[in-house]
Amino acid sequence: MIGNDLIDLQLAKSQSSWQRKGFLEKQFTDTEIAEILSSENPFLQVWLFWSMKEAAYKCYTQEFQKRFFAPKKFVCTMISKNTGIVSVENQQYFSNSENSTFFIHTIAKKEDSKIYASELFLMDENANQTQFVQQQILSTFLQKVTIQKNEFGIPFLYQNEKKLALSISISHHGKFGAFVVL
Amino acid sequence: MKNDDLISKLKTIVKPYIQDEIAFANLTEDTDFIKDLKINSANLVDVILDIEDEFDIEIDNDSMEKMLSVKAAIDIIEDKLANK
Repeated sequence: MIGNDLIDLQLAKSQSSWQRKGFLEKQFTDTEIAEILSSENPFLQVWLFWSMKEAAYKCYTQEFQKRFFAPKKFVCTMISKNTGIVSVENQQYFSNSENSTFFIHTIAKKEDSKIYASELFLMDENANQTQFVQQQILSTFLQKVTIQKNEFGIPFLYQNEKKLALSISISHHGKFGAFVVL
Repeated sequence: MKNDDLISKLKTIVKPYIQDEIAFANLTEDTDFIKDLKINSANLVDVILDIEDEFDIEIDNDSMEKMLSVKAAIDIIEDKLANK
């Protein structure tokens, strides 16, 4: 199981207002809110936590095959500036985030397994982004593979109509796209 | 409130966040906020906050969990309005 999430920080600024009444309370625990508000840059902490929750949610849905919207159930604890643990029910996911001035990219996974491929790239905002990211993934494989999504919107890799035993996760936001394969 | 009225109010609420105009134009009860309208999951909370403001209701965490489609939203709004 693997999940990733990408935030285009410039777009996040214009797309959502974290200071909106109720915005934090609906998605973050009291402890997370306290950490956000006491952080040097609350805006960045909001989106770091959010990307951790979203990446962990993608791992969770791969394992349990269900969809729901409960960001508050995914509880984030930072280990270091860029790494953390996301707990949900009795599951734990480890997160690793890459922060730059322009984006936050978080990868979450359960096992200490090796990532097969991980890439982040710039994209044309007016292009079909889902298609573009998919092409990027397919180009990392020598053999011909395809991507199919199941009824829960979870993507899987197929080769000759057979589902491959690899986990993939795709994310795009604004000018950036990324994928990971485990 | 009739279903049609509810759907039209919901359409106004989700409009600023949708990223698929065709799916929006063809919106029905079966439309999924994320899969069809391509609403960014971070904006789903804005949709929920806007629904709370518009209908003067409070959407608890358990209800929010199901809020992925037009149908689920209508069921939740109707339930909250009935118990107001």
